[in-house]
Amino acid sequence: MAANTLRTSLFFGAALVLSLGACATQPATDADDSLYQALGAEQGIEQIAENFIMEIAYDERIFDRFADSNVQRFREKMIEHLCMVSDGPCEYTGDSMVLVHRGMDINSAEFNAVVENMMEAMDKAGTPLSAQNRLLERLAGLRPEIIEI
Amino acid sequence: MKQTLSAAGFRIDTKTVSLCMAVVMMTALPGLTVADEEQNPRFGKIKGTGGVSSISGVGGGGLTPWATLSSYAEAGQLGGTVFASQARVDDYQLDIYGGSFNFHDKVEVSYVRQDFLIEAADLNIRQDKIGLRYKVAGDVIYDRLPQITVGVEHGELRDEAVALSVGARETRGTVYTISMARAWINGIGHRTTLLNVNLRYGDSNQFGILGYGGDDADTRVNVEVAGAMFLNRSVAVGFEWRQKPDNLSALKEENAHDLFVAYFPNKRLSFTAAWVDLGEIAGAPDQRGVYFSLQANL
Repeated sequence: MAANTLRTSLFFGAALVLSLGACATQPATDADDSLYQALGAEQGIEQIAENFIMEIAYDERIFDRFADSNVQRFREKMIEHLCMVSDGPCEYTGDSMVLVHRGMDINSAEFNAVVENMMEAMDKAGTPLSAQNRLLERLAGLRPEIIEI
Repeated sequence: MKQTLSAAGFRIDTKTVSLCMAVVMMTALPGLTVADEEQNPRFGKIKGTGGVSSISGVGGGGLTPWATLSSYAEAGQLGGTVFASQARVDDYQLDIYGGSFNFHDKVEVSYVRQDFLIEAADLNIRQDKIGLRYKVAGDVIYDRLPQITVGVEHGELRDEAVALSVGARETRGTVYTISMARAWINGIGHRTTLLNVNLRYGDSNQFGILGYGGDDADTRVNVEVAGAMFLNRSVAVGFEWRQKPDNLSALKEENAHDLFVAYFPNKRLSFTAAWVDLGEIAGAPDQRGVYFSLQANL
């Protein structure tokens, strides 16, 4: 009896978590560029990238990780990347996320610090929260290609 | 004698609560004044994602624990919280204070003192609880599968008379929990949304305040569900629903639920306010009221 109840409850719990997940997750098949537009298109994304570079420059938690980066190249590739990730009319010509981050052994706290800088950069660019979360969801999907490699 | 005990207990507790509040304020003040607190290298989680402190001392939620471990510790970091909370419903008041440690966002150890006041009788029932939780798998934000945390909560009543008089079998007890939580960064309404489901195995009566087990033992497995949504990066709103066993033939126990708002001004502090409905408690029906909680991260 107790085992049955436990089984039922486990099933109930798992089913609820999974089904609500299905409702809450937007299908990533948007062929339109609505996210790119919501981020403010070319101008908005340039602003976000520039703000992001400034946030990192003043963040002692992670600045060392970027110390050897060529700022001009980083800016250019980041704009391309954000444009591509948000379905904008760009092609990312930089190295793969794995290639860029391999050997750095970035930990989860450092990854979160970058996410926070990205949030701050978008806040300062006046990006609406809904567009921020749509972009962050896509960028978060890259985490396995960035941390602990 | 019971009165003397509880009266003495109440004095001590009031003093300890003041002390706890002082610690909270001292911890919090630097957070309010230092602008760069958001970049504290010891606080590796994103703001709000450590949750708040539940009434049993473990990370939550208020009425229920959540799979998220308390504090801002990430892998490789140590964290801690101190907190003070109060629930005021029609005929009772529950004062809570305690603290927790988080090791590498893998293991959480907590202690809480609960002081339950029966207003009509001016009688206090105090309970100590310790909690131990272990994050088994997953990451609440980044993984597709839920974060899963298992926990043990052990409670012991300091004031045993009421529990024994209403037919509880024990004045101490242990409950076991499995918590599953998942957050969607881009959730409902493009807001970050969290869902948590717990299974609880145990026989506590009214959170253990009325002891453990009874002459009319109910199912030992109960379900708890909570949902939350971040309206912005600092404010979350949500609900909790907690199924409770009804083990005592003399008294009825009902499920509890709440609607809450939590405010995270920075990573040092959180404030939670809630409307709670605890159902019938010890013969007094429809116990509804408010809940407030203040948490500081160390």
